[in-house]
Amino acid sequence: MAACSKRLDKFIVSLRLLRNLQLQNERFLSTSLCRWAPGNDSEPPKFIPPSKPVIIDKTQAVATLRKFLSPEFIPPRQRTNPLKFSMERKDMIRRRKILNVPEFYPGSILAVSMADPNATGKINRFVGICIQRGGKGLGATFVLRNIINQQGVEICYELYNPRIQKIEVLKLEKRLDDNLMYLRDALPEYSTVDPDMKPVPFPPTGEVPLNELKVKMRPKPWSKRWERPKFNIQGIHFDLCLVPKQMEHAQKWAQPWQEYDMLKEYDTSKLEQQILSEVQQEMSK
Amino acid sequence: MAAWSCRFLLQRGPRLISPRAAAESPVQLVGCVRTTMPWQRHEWTEGSRRVGLVAVKLGMAPIWTKTGEKHAVTMLQVQDCHVIKCLPKEEYDGHTAALVVGGKNVSPFHRSEHYMEMFRNAGVPPKQKITTFKVSDNAIIKPGTPLYAAHFRPGQYVDVTAKSIGKGFQGVMKRWGFKGQPASHGQTKTHRRPGASGPGGDPAKVFKGKKMPGRMGNIYVTAFGLKIWRVNTKYNVLYVNGSVPGHRNCVLKIRDTVLPTRGSTLLSPPFPTYFTEDEGDLAEDLYDDDLFIHTEPSLTLT
Repeated sequence: MAACSKRLDKFIVSLRLLRNLQLQNERFLSTSLCRWAPGNDSEPPKFIPPSKPVIIDKTQAVATLRKFLSPEFIPPRQRTNPLKFSMERKDMIRRRKILNVPEFYPGSILAVSMADPNATGKINRFVGICIQRGGKGLGATFVLRNIINQQGVEICYELYNPRIQKIEVLKLEKRLDDNLMYLRDALPEYSTVDPDMKPVPFPPTGEVPLNELKVKMRPKPWSKRWERPKFNIQGIHFDLCLVPKQMEHAQKWAQPWQEYDMLKEYDTSKLEQQILSEVQQEMSK
Repeated sequence: MAAWSCRFLLQRGPRLISPRAAAESPVQLVGCVRTTMPWQRHEWTEGSRRVGLVAVKLGMAPIWTKTGEKHAVTMLQVQDCHVIKCLPKEEYDGHTAALVVGGKNVSPFHRSEHYMEMFRNAGVPPKQKITTFKVSDNAIIKPGTPLYAAHFRPGQYVDVTAKSIGKGFQGVMKRWGFKGQPASHGQTKTHRRPGASGPGGDPAKVFKGKKMPGRMGNIYVTAFGLKIWRVNTKYNVLYVNGSVPGHRNCVLKIRDTVLPTRGSTLLSPPFPTYFTEDEGDLAEDLYDDDLFIHTEPSLTLT
């Protein structure tokens, strides 16, 4: 028995050596492609340098590398004194200096730790997909959805609630819509998020990845008639659940004149730039 | 606004107003105050009432307490609040003295001469709203003194009076909360009507004051016992608990509570009012003890 195992060891070791050799050969092949190519003896092979390593500056805060203004900073179109919004903004910035609120969009997967007197260890951690971001100013909220033990759970968190200890973004991505309430009527696999999910690293610069997933729905009736144009949903695979006749019938509720209504226009670009520069200035102090 | 109007008139030509009238017109807030001696300031005694303020409703915002509960507060800004006239006991009603206070500067162009007269005497720009506050004799203040938000302190209770939002001519269900009639089961054209208007043949009349449809809103309503959570001395903003009658940017009257269980005997609010030279510079924000301030670390409920 012992003799067999020794020979087996030697065999395994030799196998390993062969595998290493193979790997080495592959590495050599990638950098010097033209070495084994026939009929290239006249010129020496062109030297292709290895790819440069990307240096990510981890000392600088990740948030500042991408220009993002949280939507609750933009004031609604109302006849309110701008002083009220500026005072609320000051409070929001004070809170953001204590609690780091990362950049996220509806469709990203978040984990929120909140102080709870009834929870074990006094801290309650919930992981879910963000389906909606609502509210302006200090009352801004976001709703996280997850399916736990085959039961759908949605929790609405207030961004500036002092009981929130930590907000982590496990996966940063955007979806085709701003409001993913239709996930309530979609198949449960689209709302399930693993509670022990590891954070997916995302680059601090560049575009936020857009997930062009078209969701499959449960059979009708749904909680809302998502096919109607007022919801303007791009993220549902309507071809699988609706007949073209039903889609045409839904178009009867279309209001194509709203796009041309000038009184409904609210151009926030200048306001956004001004508020973004103000917020960045205050946060860096 | 008043400064602009005076400059505009002078530019148009001196013939429109005489230079003497221009010099007398109440443009500057500080420079034009009469150079007579300030009035005597008395100490607070049991049963003395002090003056209130006139403020503008900015909007509402959430706040959190140190135990993690959320409350809604209304932000009221004290804009250009001045004492305009002092009515001693004999002039007002024979029992209590009164102080006329005005808030929120407004242009003098659309106001009558009679209205402008009292502001001219006080040396103060014309105001949008003037109210009378019943005040005890030891709390009278010289006309022309500015009143600030620091007059109230966090933890105090106030009453806020304002004109409620006008709803126009409204039916009996919205105006008085009547139940109306059922929507179906044979009701003929009767779903939101008042129904009966009183007893039958004995009085044979409808009593005065019967609740009927009519104009609703745009009347003075007072909200009692509102707690002050926070006072911002830089912008003169009061954070008052709950909601307050009136629309955004409406002018309100704030005074100390009349409720006996919410008296401010424990705190010592400034009497007769907050003077900068007396108490010196306060911190920019004054907070109530129970309020969570956003510069503190997150709450850990243990």
